[in-house]
Amino acid sequence: MSIEAVSNGRQTILEAEALCLRFGAVETLKSVSLSVMESEIHAVIGPNGAGKSSLLNCFSGFYRPQSGAVRFKGIDISDLPPHRRAELGMSRTFQGIQTYPSLTARENILTGFHMRMKTGPFSALIWWGATRREEELYTARAEKIIEFLELEEQRHTHVGDMSYGMRKRVDLGRAIALEPAILIMDEPMAGMSNEEKEDLARFILDIREGLGIPVVLVEHDMEVVMSISDRVTVLDFGQVIACGTPDEIRAHPAVIDAYLGDAA
Amino acid sequence: MLPTGIHFESYAAETRVLKTRRSQVWLAILVAALLVAPFFAGAYLTGIASEMFITLMAVYGLYITVGMAGQINIAQSAFVGVGAFAAAKLSGYGVPVFLVIPLAAFCTGCVSVLFALPASRVKGLYLALTTLAAQAMFPIVIYALPPGWLGGLAGMPVEPLTVFGLDLGSPARLYYFTLAIVAVLTVSVFRIQHSRFGRAMIAVRDNDVAAEVMGIPVFKVKVMSFFVGSLFAGIAGACMAYVLQFVTASSFTLFASVWYLGMLIVGGLHSPLGAILGVLFITIVQESLHKVANTLMQLGAGGGGTLFALTSIILGGCILIALIFEPRGLAHRWAVLRKAFQIWPFPRS
Repeated sequence: MSIEAVSNGRQTILEAEALCLRFGAVETLKSVSLSVMESEIHAVIGPNGAGKSSLLNCFSGFYRPQSGAVRFKGIDISDLPPHRRAELGMSRTFQGIQTYPSLTARENILTGFHMRMKTGPFSALIWWGATRREEELYTARAEKIIEFLELEEQRHTHVGDMSYGMRKRVDLGRAIALEPAILIMDEPMAGMSNEEKEDLARFILDIREGLGIPVVLVEHDMEVVMSISDRVTVLDFGQVIACGTPDEIRAHPAVIDAYLGDAA
Repeated sequence: MLPTGIHFESYAAETRVLKTRRSQVWLAILVAALLVAPFFAGAYLTGIASEMFITLMAVYGLYITVGMAGQINIAQSAFVGVGAFAAAKLSGYGVPVFLVIPLAAFCTGCVSVLFALPASRVKGLYLALTTLAAQAMFPIVIYALPPGWLGGLAGMPVEPLTVFGLDLGSPARLYYFTLAIVAVLTVSVFRIQHSRFGRAMIAVRDNDVAAEVMGIPVFKVKVMSFFVGSLFAGIAGACMAYVLQFVTASSFTLFASVWYLGMLIVGGLHSPLGAILGVLFITIVQESLHKVANTLMQLGAGGGGTLFALTSIILGGCILIALIFEPRGLAHRWAVLRKAFQIWPFPRS
């Protein structure tokens, strides 16, 4: 355990320290540092190519930064593979559609419980007994998530037959099923209608309020970001140019420059 | 889709295969028909049925590895062979049948894991090639080992099947023996998709990157899918050893592996019903062709021999036609028909 940063009486749950990520000659992240506190909604914004998704992929373990460290709950997780990070309590939703199309909505959510469930292949072949008990128990828990996300009507629909917005909701359900200590969301609003965006913004707030899970959010929709985030970090050309409350960010000269160009 | 008025009182009941009273009655009729069949069918047909049950066990295994986990395996016949040789060897030591079958299955599972290990690095076509290596190595290894171990080129005789002192040598008794085993495996294979392991396999097939991030150990699931699929192959092999009373490496060919895969594809990769329909369809077509060819030969009419030779070509044609008109397999066609029948007279959605 390393030193746990404390600010405003709240602990840092996820921390990036001086992350540098290069692809050949392209420096995607140049010494990026960022910390996410307990029960906060932390948005990462920036123009296209600023390195937002790369940062999230460093958190998830898809990319290994050349230098710097990622700390989660005080533990250095820089060298852990993605599923080990999930075991520690890191969960995420994806850009676009990354659900399992041939499973139903409820089954997709049940896959999120994989690490908590215990039964193995042999028990699955026998089914009656341990597996049946486990299925009953976790289906009841999946139903709670279905209720939370208002997916009741489509619980038995194959996700491949669902609309884009509903699939994103299933993706979110699966991420919550991990019962994570942090939830990372990569452009959750992309491609959604206004109504779907409102629903999703409400779910994100509920996840923070009701379940107490902090959320890291990469998002392009400024209106959403400014209205639901507690803190915003702005990236431009792989560097953090500003970090603060939505009001501070709105007034920050570097941010205005990055979005509107030097002329502003 | 369910008729109105069907309610479930537990989550487990929702996953039942037979949800309505009517489907339970149909199953009871099917089981009764299978039980009395040997009294009406001749020894030849009974033998064909036992063989079909054994094929079905192997195809169930493929359904798990290829259908559920999406790991292409073209060495299923070699794995059946491993089970057959393990059973032959064990029965030679006087091990009773109810121990031989699980042990043979376990041996096969362990062998398959060796060839599943490359799945950590390669997928799709490349993995298919490593399983092809297993298929190619199988006869070579058997022939190269000292003849005293696994019979070498000559093959190995198998002790006659006895259960609690009862000789099960006759075709009808072997039929009941294989029927009992395939019935147990059928229940297992229909249940497995409603388990943690079953869903993990489907998740890996649908999106292995997302599965990894959501905490599913992808590599372990892939290897276990090979292991479990090969347990079924091993059981099929043990049954085959008992039915044929003789095992030789030359019976477990690449050709048979491809056929197992062909049956699964024709039936439908994504449901155990697909395995059943595929095996049934191919066996019926094959046997009908043989029957016609035989009759032609007995009548002295020309073409009988040619038809025999053409059997594989015609069967290959059947697979092509099935894939063109129903790429999702007979099981999907069945589901579509069933739905159309249920909502009749309303048009199909």
